[in-house]
Amino acid sequence: MSEIINVIISQGVDVETVYLILALPFVATLIVIFRQIIGVKSFGVYTPLVLTFAFWAIGLKYGLAIFVVVLISGTAMRYFLKKFRLLYLPRIAIVLTVISIAILGLLTLAGSFGKIGLASTSILPILIMITLIEKFISTQVEKGIRTATILSIETIIISSAGYYFIVWDSFRNLILNHPEYIILLLVINIILGKWTGLRLREYFRFKDVIKHVDNN
Amino acid sequence: MLTTIKKSRGLLGMNSRNLTYIRPSNLQDAIRLADNKLRSKELLFNNGIPVPKVFGVIKNRKDLEMFKWADLPKSFVLKPNHGRGGEGIKIIFGQKKDQSWVSTEGRRITIKDLRNHIMDVFEGFYSLSGVSDIAFFEERIQISKTLKPYAYKGIPDIRVIVYNNVPVMAMLRLPTKESDGKANLHLGGIGLGIDITNGISTHAVQRDQLIEKHPDSKLKLSGIRIPYWRKILEIAIKCQQVSKLGYIGVDVAIDKERGPVVLEINAHSGLSIQIANLAPLKYRLQKVQGIKVQDEAHGIRIAQDLFGGEIEEEIEEISGKQVLGIIESIKIKHKIKEIAEVDDGGNDKVITEKNESKLEEMELKAKIDTGAGVSSIDKEIARKLGYGDVIDEFDEVVKDLEITQSSKADDLDEEIKDKLLKWGENFSTVLIRSSHGISYRLMVNMEIILSGVEVFSRMSVIDRSHLEFPVIIGKKDLLKFIIDPSKKAQTIMSSVE
Repeated sequence: MSEIINVIISQGVDVETVYLILALPFVATLIVIFRQIIGVKSFGVYTPLVLTFAFWAIGLKYGLAIFVVVLISGTAMRYFLKKFRLLYLPRIAIVLTVISIAILGLLTLAGSFGKIGLASTSILPILIMITLIEKFISTQVEKGIRTATILSIETIIISSAGYYFIVWDSFRNLILNHPEYIILLLVINIILGKWTGLRLREYFRFKDVIKHVDNN
Repeated sequence: MLTTIKKSRGLLGMNSRNLTYIRPSNLQDAIRLADNKLRSKELLFNNGIPVPKVFGVIKNRKDLEMFKWADLPKSFVLKPNHGRGGEGIKIIFGQKKDQSWVSTEGRRITIKDLRNHIMDVFEGFYSLSGVSDIAFFEERIQISKTLKPYAYKGIPDIRVIVYNNVPVMAMLRLPTKESDGKANLHLGGIGLGIDITNGISTHAVQRDQLIEKHPDSKLKLSGIRIPYWRKILEIAIKCQQVSKLGYIGVDVAIDKERGPVVLEINAHSGLSIQIANLAPLKYRLQKVQGIKVQDEAHGIRIAQDLFGGEIEEEIEEISGKQVLGIIESIKIKHKIKEIAEVDDGGNDKVITEKNESKLEEMELKAKIDTGAGVSSIDKEIARKLGYGDVIDEFDEVVKDLEITQSSKADDLDEEIKDKLLKWGENFSTVLIRSSHGISYRLMVNMEIILSGVEVFSRMSVIDRSHLEFPVIIGKKDLLKFIIDPSKKAQTIMSSVE
């Protein structure tokens, strides 16, 4: 382990905390690569980032289960509430209430089936996922249910990739031994920030146009 | 793979659009103005650009109390100022006698309904994060006749991207059943690429996929001519000038009576327009970068010169006639011989047979000559096409003729014609009087294919072996065509290379 890390740990900081804090910018950069180079959009950078760590806290399987329940019940409530013509904030509060009940139901159900892992999930990652519903609903309003669904799936893909990244032992050893690599991220992100090339996905999106371009 | 990357260099991707074009060209203030419907509308109006009329702005409850409902016209649109994706827009298309209106869905709308709707707008019901908004009444655009068959419920609009005062690319957006009458592409509307020179639609795209026909009306989507095209381009350029957006997407609708009207200006114009046009946008943007553009007319001229499609197609569109160049590659069908043959059953039977060499048609270079009355073909070529025997007999007949008296010529003409009769009705002769005296020429009916069009031509057979072109197409056979001397025959050009 690196000298610096040892010093930090000797001051009483938990090694897990150190690792996660150091992993955070790496995951953020991974998400940026997903967006700028590959073209997987998702809901901004923040949403997949916190979701990645929520998955880490409760495990990918249960994390996905809860996230999907949150999305489905949130969307259903939005459509149900549309008729009642309520103001925005009370509307969101009602959606949150229903989601809370749904999650409580899910946890109880999981417990009764002997899935202790899910039943004993801590509150913080669940809270994180619930707050994401607001982002999801606003996207539904702005861009339609179809786009919102595609973006949610993309968010799940990116967050799952991020999850596998931070549970990867080699990566863990690498940044605990060489925390200075974090400086590299600055360089990488400056390059990404100046990157004007086509995203991988755009090659598919514009395949018909590319076919049509003359060779000369 | 490598060619794909090479070919895609001219495409505008999201990264490049944001970093290379929007960031340097569109200042924050200009973007904010474009996002504010009322403010941008006012700016455009003050600069003489046609926009839908505003009948009233309601900023607060006091405005709402004071509003004179009786001043509203029979049809109008109620909009939230910052609403996005079409949310919160109420379209009223008729008035009833009892102080109430009818919405496009056919529902009865009272003053109380409108008042409630405006209250919702105030409360931020339709704005994204619940921020309080203001509402306004706007003129309802009446769909123009040309575009009506192509639109499901809503109003089609034309998106023009302007950069450096040059309209670089345009797209017609059609509302569909899938998009619920909205012209937005991400909701399932159709985007049609437009030839910037003439405003005629080219390719069509729905959800990023190329389509041929309108999914609802099944109408063909290419070849739609957008009315007021030049005016639309002028307006779009003007919008860029006054909005100070360096890279702008201008949405124009065409009103039945008023003509082109600007609906919206956009700072972040989408990229699907490239698919609808099957043309890369970045390539065009790079081409117009740095050009000094004097005025709107100059900008349009540049766009037409740089990005114009085939002009001849435009003329074909208007006249329904094919455009020919001076030299065209043509095909002539071989003569069909009728010969008698004895089949196995021992009966005489007339069968038709294409001649021995199985040559069905011949491709030739032809000169399009409006100075000539009839078309003519070289004797040797005609022989190759199977007319050898007729030519021989004709030559035999005219060889000994010594015509000195013009009065006798007509009689002889009749005589030759009679002799030719046995060859069928496809042959005749023509009498030619010139300074060299009087001569006869063999005329043969041939089927030729000119620029894809079948023409039954009566061709005179003469010796053209010393001339460059074995065939001349004269006036009589050019009735279905228009001639453009600048057009080059493609097949000939490629054979020369």
